[in-house]
Amino acid sequence: MSTKTARWIFYIGTLISLALFLVLTVDTHRQIQTLTHADRLSEQVVAGKRVWQKYNCNDCHTILGFGSYYAPDMTKVYWRRGSEGIKAVIRSPETFTTWRKMPRLPLTDKELENLVAFLQWTSEIDNQGWPPQDQKLRAGAGQAVALGVSPGAALYQAKGCFACHRLYEAGGGAGPDLTHVGSRLSYETIERILTDPRSGNPEATMPTPPLSHEERYQVGHFLAGLK
Amino acid sequence: MPLAYPSQRVAYPYFVVALLLFVLQVIVGIWLALSYALTIPQWLVDLLPFSTTRAVHTNLLVLWLLLGFMGSTYFMAPEETEREIYSPTLAYIQLLLLVGTGVTALAGFVFGWTKGKPLLEIPFPLDYLVVVGALIFLFNVGMTILRARQWTVIQGSLFGGLVFLAVMYLFNLPFYANLSIDWYYWWWVIHLWVEGAWELVAAALTAWILIKITNVPRATVEKWLYVELGLFLFTGIAGTGHHYYWLGAPSYWLWVGGIFSALEPVPILLMLADAWHYLRNRRSEIKGRLVFTYAVGMAILHFVGAGVWGFAHTLPQINYYTHGSQITVAHGHLAFFGAYVLLNLTFFYYAMPKLKGLTLFNERRGNIAFWWLSITMSVMTLAFSVAGVLQTHIERIMGLGYMTAQAQMRLSFAILAVLGVVFLGGVLLTVVDLMTLRPGPSAKEAA
Ligand code: HEC
Ligand code: HEC
Ligand code: HEM
Ligand code: HEM
Ligand SMILES: [Fe+2]
Repeated sequence: MSTKTARWIFYIGTLISLALFLVLTVDTHRQIQTLTHADRLSEQVVAGKRVWQKYNCNDCHTILGFGSYYAPDMTKVYWRRGSEGIKAVIRSPETFTTWRKMPRLPLTDKELENLVAFLQWTSEIDNQGWPPQDQKLRAGAGQAVALGVSPGAALYQAKGCFACHRLYEAGGGAGPDLTHVGSRLSYETIERILTDPRSGNPEATMPTPPLSHEERYQVGHFLAGLK
Repeated sequence: MPLAYPSQRVAYPYFVVALLLFVLQVIVGIWLALSYALTIPQWLVDLLPFSTTRAVHTNLLVLWLLLGFMGSTYFMAPEETEREIYSPTLAYIQLLLLVGTGVTALAGFVFGWTKGKPLLEIPFPLDYLVVVGALIFLFNVGMTILRARQWTVIQGSLFGGLVFLAVMYLFNLPFYANLSIDWYYWWWVIHLWVEGAWELVAAALTAWILIKITNVPRATVEKWLYVELGLFLFTGIAGTGHHYYWLGAPSYWLWVGGIFSALEPVPILLMLADAWHYLRNRRSEIKGRLVFTYAVGMAILHFVGAGVWGFAHTLPQINYYTHGSQITVAHGHLAFFGAYVLLNLTFFYYAMPKLKGLTLFNERRGNIAFWWLSITMSVMTLAFSVAGVLQTHIERIMGLGYMTAQAQMRLSFAILAVLGVVFLGGVLLTVVDLMTLRPGPSAKEAA
C-alpha cells in the first residue's frame, strides 16, 4: 500500500462516518421530541432536573443506565415506588435503605415536588424497553391489575410496595413474596401490619407504609384476595 | 545526555503533578470499593457521600491523564518540529491555571459544589477556566508547529487530536432541559474523547516513540498511522451509537451503533500488530528494555481492555442486560489503564531519564512495578467482571431487584478493596522510581 492510498483511507473513512453521524443526529433531534414526550417537558420537570443535578444523585444512581452503579437505576423508579414512595425515601432514607445507605439530603418541599415530576416524566420516555427488570415488574403489575381488584392493586404499585415485595415474579426481595399472601394472612392481620408493622412482631423492619385509612382498606382487601 | 532542546524541560513539572494526582486517585478508588463492600454508617454517608468520592476519583483520573498528555506534547513538540516551544512561560502559566482549577473543583465537590453530571462534574465557571487552559495550550503548541513549518503526519495527528478533544468539551457547557438530549451530547464528550480524540493523541505519541526507539523508517510508520487514524474515526464516530440504544433515541441506533462499534477493535488490533512488528527492529544503540516492555504491554492491554472487554458488551442483544452494570466498570478500568495510563507511563519512562540527563538508568524497580501494576489491574478487572455477571444475572435476567443482587456482589468488592491496596503499592513504586531514577545499567545488562 502506498502512502497515498493510506491517506485516502483516512479521508474517506472519516468523512463517511461523520456524514452518517451528523445526518442521524439531525433526525434524532426530530424524533426524540415524540419519543420523550417533549410536549410534557413542563417548567416543573425542568426544575426537577436541576434538583437532580444539584444534589448529584447521578453519582450514586444511574438514570437511563448512565452514571454511577452504587444505587438502583432511576429511569423507571416511578413505576416501582410512585410519587409518595419516592418522597418517603428522600425524606427519611434511613428507614428505607438497608445495609447500603443513602444520605439525608436537605431538599425543600418544592424541590421534592419538582424532582418527582422529573422522575415521572423520565419513566415515560420510550427507550426500547430498558431496563429489563422494571419491564418485568410492569408485566407483573399489569397481571395484578388485570385481576380486577384495583384500586388496591394500583395503590400497591403507587406506594412502592414492589420495591421490597415480589408479586407475580416481579419486585424486590427485601420482604416476603406476596403473590399468595391471602392464603397465609387474613384481612385483619394484613390491615394491622399495614397500620403498624411492629404491632405483631416488634423485630419487624418494614417501614410504616404511607397509607391513609381508606387506602389501607383497599390495599388490605387486594392482598387478602391473593390466594 | 543533555536535552536536545532546553524548552523540553517544561514537561517535567507536568509529569510530577500528574504522578502525584495518580496516587491520590488510586487511594480514593480503594475507598470506593470499601463503600461497596461494607456498611458505611449513616452519619459518614451524610458527611462524605459516595457520590462525592466517586467524582473525586474520576476527575483526578481525567486531570492527571490530560496533564500527562500535555507534558508529553511539550516534550515531543521541539524534537518533532526542530524548534523550541513558542513560550515556556505560557506553558507554566497554563499548568498553574489547570492545576488551580482542578484542585478548586475537587475541594468544591466535597462541599457539594457540582454540575451534577457524572465524569463532568466541574461546575460553572470553573469549566470555562478549563477551556481557557486548553486554549492557551493549543495556542502554544500551534504556534510552535506553525513557526517550524515542517508538517508531519505525527504532528497533524497529535494537534488534530488535541483540537478535537478541546472542541468536544464545549458540548458539556450548556444546560440541556431534555434528559435524553443531555445524555446524547454527554457521549459526544466521553465517547468521542476516549474512542476518538484521545486515540489520535495516543496513536501520535506511540508512533513518535516507535520512531525514536526502532529502525523502522518514518515513512512506514506514518503510512500506517494514516490507516489507523482512518479506521479509528470511521468506526469510532458512528460507533457513538452504542450508547444510544436505551436513552430514548430512534431504534436505528441499534443497527448503526452495533455494527460500527463492533468494528472498533480492528484499529486497536492493527496498533498491536504494528508495535509487535516494529519492536523487532529495535535500535541497537538503545540499551534499555523498559520502554519496550511498556510499549508492548500498552498495546496488549489496550487491545484487551478496550477491544475485547468493549466488544463483549457492545452488541445491543447483550448490552440490554449489561448496560450500566459492573461489566461497564470492568471495561472502564482495563481500557483506561491499558490505553491511557500505560501510554503516559511509557512516555514518562522515555522522557524522564532524558529530563534528568541520564542515558542509561537502573531498570530493576521500573520492571517490577510494570508487572505489579499490569497483573493487579488485570485481576481487578476479573473481579469487577465477576460482580458484573452476578448483577446481570440476578438483577436483570432473574429480575430479583437491585439490592438482592448487590448482596451477592459484596465479596467481589471486599476482594477489590484488597487488590486496590496492592495496586497502590505498585503505583507508589512507579512514582518513587520515576522521581529518583538512578544512573547506570543494571547488573544483569552490564554482565
Ligand atoms: C451516596 C449515594 C446516594 C445519593 C447521593 C443518592 N442516593 Fe438514593 N439511594 C442510595 C442507595 C444506596 C439506595 C438503596 C439502598 C437500599 O435499598 O438499601 C438508594 C435508594 C433510593 C431510592 C429508592 C430506590 C428504589 O429502587 O425504589 C430512591 C427513589 C432514591 N434513592 C432517590 C434518590 C434521589 C432523588 C437522590 C438525589 C436527590 C438520591 N437518591 C441520592 C444512594 C444514594
Ligand atoms: C423497605 C421495604 C418494604 C416496603 C417498602 C414494604 N414492605 Fe412489607 N414487609 C417488608 C419486610 C422486611 C417484611 C417482613 C416483616 C418485617 O421484617 O417487617 C414485610 C412484611 C409485609 C407483610 C406481611 C407478609 C407476611 O407474609 O408475613 C405484608 C402484608 C406487607 N409487608 C405489605 C406491604 C405493603 C402493602 C407495602 C406497600 C404499601 C409494603 N409492605 C412495603 C418490607 C417492606
Ligand atoms: C481506550 C478506549 C476506551 C476507553 C477508555 C473506554 C472507557 C469506557 C468507560 C469509562 C465507559 C463507561 C462510561 C460510563 O457510562 O460512565 C465505557 C462504556 C462503554 N464502552 Fe468503552 N472504552 C474504550 C473503548 C471501547 C471500545 C473499543 C468499545 C467497543 C468495542 C467500547 C464499548 C463500550 C460500551 C458498549 C460501553 C457502554 C456500557 C454500558 O452500556 O453501560 N469501549 N467505556
Ligand atoms: C489506574 C487505575 C484506575 C483507573 C484507570 C480507574 C478508572 C475508573 C473509572 C473510569 C471509573 C468510572 C467507572 C465507569 O463509569 O465505568 C472508576 C470508578 C470506580 N473505581 Fe476506579 N480506577 C482506577 C483505580 C481504582 C482502584 C485501585 C480501585 C479500587 C479497587 C477502583 C475502584 C473504583 C470503584 C469502586 C469505582 C466506582 C464504580 C461505580 O460507579 O459504581 N479504581 N474508576
Ligand atoms: Fe463508547
